[in-house]
Order: sequence, then structure tokens, then C-alpha cells
Amino acid sequence: MKTIVKSRLAELLQTMAQDFRVLVPVKSEAISQFVPWQEGLTVNLEGNTVLPPKDIFFPQTEKMYKFKVKGSSVDIEEFAEDVQKQVIFGIRSCDMQSIDCLDKVFLTKGYEDQFYKTKREKTLLVALSCTKPQDTCFCESMGLNPQEAPGADVQGYDLGDALGFVAKTPEGEELLAKYGSLFTEVNAVPQKVEGFNLKADVAGIPEKLAKMFDHPIWGEVSQKCLGCGACAYLCPTCHCFDISGTVKGDQGYKFRCWDCCMFSEYTRMAGGHNPRPSKKERVRNRFLHKLYYFKDRYGQLLCTGCGRCIAKCPVGMDITAIIEKIKEAEV
Amino acid sequence: MSVSTADIKRINPLIPIRGKITKIVQETPDVKTFHITTLDGQKPFTPLPGQLAMFSIPQVGEAMFSITSQGPNHLEMSIKEVGQLTRFLHEVEEGQECGIRGPYGNGFPIDYCRGKDLLFIGGGIGLAPVRSLINYCVENRKDFGKLIVVYGARSYADLVFKEDLFENWPKVENMEVFVTIDRAEEGWNGHVGFVPAYVEELNISPMVTITCGPPIMIKFVLQSLAKMGFNDKDVITTLEMRMKCGIGKCGRCNIGSCYVCLDGPVFTLEQLKLLPPEY
Repeated sequence: MKTIVKSRLAELLQTMAQDFRVLVPVKSEAISQFVPWQEGLTVNLEGNTVLPPKDIFFPQTEKMYKFKVKGSSVDIEEFAEDVQKQVIFGIRSCDMQSIDCLDKVFLTKGYEDQFYKTKREKTLLVALSCTKPQDTCFCESMGLNPQEAPGADVQGYDLGDALGFVAKTPEGEELLAKYGSLFTEVNAVPQKVEGFNLKADVAGIPEKLAKMFDHPIWGEVSQKCLGCGACAYLCPTCHCFDISGTVKGDQGYKFRCWDCCMFSEYTRMAGGHNPRPSKKERVRNRFLHKLYYFKDRYGQLLCTGCGRCIAKCPVGMDITAIIEKIKEAEV
Repeated sequence: MSVSTADIKRINPLIPIRGKITKIVQETPDVKTFHITTLDGQKPFTPLPGQLAMFSIPQVGEAMFSITSQGPNHLEMSIKEVGQLTRFLHEVEEGQECGIRGPYGNGFPIDYCRGKDLLFIGGGIGLAPVRSLINYCVENRKDFGKLIVVYGARSYADLVFKEDLFENWPKVENMEVFVTIDRAEEGWNGHVGFVPAYVEELNISPMVTITCGPPIMIKFVLQSLAKMGFNDKDVITTLEMRMKCGIGKCGRCNIGSCYVCLDGPVFTLEQLKLLPPEY
């Protein structure tokens, strides 16, 4: 295994940053997130980031095209997008799994989303194993291995004082070879993962939910939800977006931005009809989407067990408790 | 510069191409039909009957509409005034430039309809998506059996496509058109009453049916058709949900695991019965 002592991590990142935009997990006040590396930054490898890395491919707001109006004439022009080659360094298994979900949404089923694709194609992924799950983590219950992230170009391991790297794709091989002089070849064994505090038994949940559209559970579960949308914004897999625009004088641009199915206006139509008029229908849609519809459409659950929604929900909604309720519900 | 369905998948499907409104027809007090071409007078793309397009006046808004018909060089969309964008559209004049992207959605199952007798049922502006298939059948008359249209609106003034209803379609070989309005009014000698009851009165034998209208009409039409022995797989309708991206990504038009903009808007009653009742 190619290893480097943690004290030399900055040197590795600085060298990589000469060839790539390198995104690393950094903590700033109460928030941690992936930001472009620059000299002097402290990389935070403790636990997962508070904000998921989905904005690297799917920014919270993203300009789509600009327009110019002159009387009845309308000119439409694309923004020239200059996408750099980039490396995401230190991404966890749960967030790697979320990229797999996002790939399925944005790159399959007939159409490719060009905005997502341009960034995704230029990205190399260096995953980092988890050794100490946080209190709200339950990725193991979702079938993930916190030490091996499927789809990563390089799997990194926390070896205590050092980090170890193993290439998983030809691109990963090339990346490690490029900075080979910085690594020491060591026969290392990754640290064992500590146990999980939180568990969820998802076996049979999608099949059971197929029969629970009209179940009273949704009235109960939705009662305390504030509809604030924090869960969706912090979820690494939530991908709903709105398309909106801004106009100043005779010109403007269209942008897309993250949206959330918990918001009351989300499905309201121009004529006023709203198929999801109350919190009950909206909460039902959120959990059915995560635990049933997505599996039906793409073959996997739309939850990776990262636990962010549990950690940050202001009223303590807990998806694992809801899974438990579904498990116990009579149909 | 005509763009095919295959082309639209290669270019960025979220960015509209520039178009122009070349003709505006006032159908009813609150419905107008807009003819749309590219800036050089070509058809923006060639949709299948029943497909949708995202139509925009970029400085005002963008929304999904069904394409109600097409000519060799233009697309037609019949639009009711209900919100901000449609209010603006009802004010513009011919020559207004716009954005258009598409075609989106699955369209009507033409291969399945081929060779069969077809019953079209429409209510109000709901005739707009159905008209794309009616006109396709009229243009390819030999490929289809008997064509029957049953259409109703609140009043005579609210009937859309009057030229088609009273002049063009009745002249077509082996095609019958039945029109009704909700309440009697002076000068109207035709049928009076709601569409579902009219369909039952006409005592039509089961055949492939394409229906679209306000949700309440659809609900009762489906009940009538069931009573008359129509087969669920032969009852076809188009759904409407709020849509933004049109390509099954933005997430808002889902009904269960289906996305109306991509997997619909056309569904058979057999398919609808497998979906959660959220439409």
C-alpha cells in the first residue's frame, strides 16, 4: 500500500493542486464542507462533512443560459463553462454511494444532464475509509462498507499516523503513479471500524411500502415536520431542482437551484391545483421516494445512511425510526 | 433548422432554441393557439402526437404545454390563460420571439391504435393534446378504422377548434363528431349536457379511447366507460403535473416511480391503476 504520514498531507495536496483543482474537507466554525485546497488550509479528516459534496457536480445555484430582450426579439446564449480537472480528496463511502445515485438520475434514462456531466467527467475520486462512525451514522445498515467505497478511483485508508492509498481504476493508478515519489510502499492493514450506534433494517421495506400509500402512518410521521427542507438540502442524494430566472433591464439569465419536496408550493400548478396539499402528502412522498420509488426506478435506495438529516433536523425526525415504524406497521 | 428527437438528446436538453410566434388564433375568450417556428421559419422539431414542449418567454417564464398539432413548418400550442406566463402570452402579437425545447414525453401509442376504431373524448382545453392524434389520424386516414370525437365545453364560446369540429373533421370519411355544451343557450341547436352522460347516451361499443379534460370530467368519463364495458388497456389519457426540467431529473412531476414528463404524459387506465392515486 502506498502510504504517507499525515504530517506530509499538505505537501501531497499542494503538489496535486498544481495539476488539479483539489477539493478537501475543511471545517470552518460550525460547518464543514469540501472546498478547493490552498496552502495554509487545515484538512479535517474527523467524521464526515456537515454539507455533502453533491454541490461539486450539482451546485446549489447554477446559471444555465442568458438572454437579451429587444422589443419582441429574444436572444438566447449559453454560458461558456470552463470546467477544470478536479480531485475530490477524502470522500466517505456514504457520499460515494450518493454520487452513484446522482449519476443514475443525471446520466441515465434517456437524457444526460450536460451541466452535471461536464463536471462529473473531469473528476477523480479519492475515497477515505471511516474508522469511527458518528452517532447518527448507519451506512452499514444500508449495505455499505465504510472502508471500501464503490466507484472510487483511489481508496484511501486511515492508518492512524499515516494515510494509505490503493488504486481502484486505471485513472486512480495513474494518479498515484504521478505523485509516487511522495509515497512509501508499506504492508499496512487498515484500522478496524468501530461499531455503529444506529441501525436500520431495510429488508423488505420497499415491497412493504408499495402497499402503504394510504396508511395512517403518514399522518402521524408528518405531524412534527416543520417543512423546513433542511433534510433535503443536507442529503447527499436529494437532487430536486427548480428553474428560475432573473431579469435586469433588457437582459437576464436562467438558473437552476436546489428545491425540496417538503415545500408547499413545490407541486402547485399554474391553475392552483396542488396534488400534495398538506404535509402528510409531502412527507409521504419524501420517504416513499427514498425507500421505494427510487429503488423501483433505479434499483437502489435513495439513502446512504450518512445520518445528516437525523443530525440536523430541528425537530428530531429520524429516518431509522421511521423505517422501524414501517417495519412494525400492519398492512 | 429542424431538430429531431435524437438531436435534442445530443445537445443540452435544458437550453431552449430560439423560436418565433408566427400566427395567433383566438379559440375562445381565454384560449389562444400559437404557431411556432424557428427564426428562419422552420419547424423547431418533429414531435410525436401527444408529446410536450417547454415553451418560454425567457424574461417572463417557462412552462410545459402539449403540442396540439403541427404543420410542415410549424408547431401549434393551444394555451389557456391561467398564470403569469400565459397572461403575458395572451398579450403578445405575431412576431414575438420565444424559447422552445423538446419534444418531451412518450406520446400516444400510435402503433397500438393503428388499424383500430378510435373514440376521442375531450372536455374544454383538454381537446388540445388529443387534437394532435386526431389530426395525425386524419392525415393518415387509411391506417385507422372509424374515428369518433365526443367533445364538450361550458358554453359555445368555450369550444376550442371550432373550424375542426364543425367543418374539417365532419367531412372526413368514416369520422363522426359529437359536440355538447353544459347548459342550453340561445342560438345553440346541438346537444346540451355533460360529456360523460353524452358518451353513455351515444351507446358506443368498446374501442380504443383517448380522453383528456378537467380531472372531474375524466373521473366520470372513466366511470362511464367502465360501465359500457371498455377495456382498461384501451382507455388512454394524458396527465398533467407541474414540470420544470422536462427530462425526468428535477423530480417534481413524479407519480410514484413514474415521471410524467418522461414516462408520460400518456398512460392507459391499466397503467394508472398501478400508480398511487396522486394526480
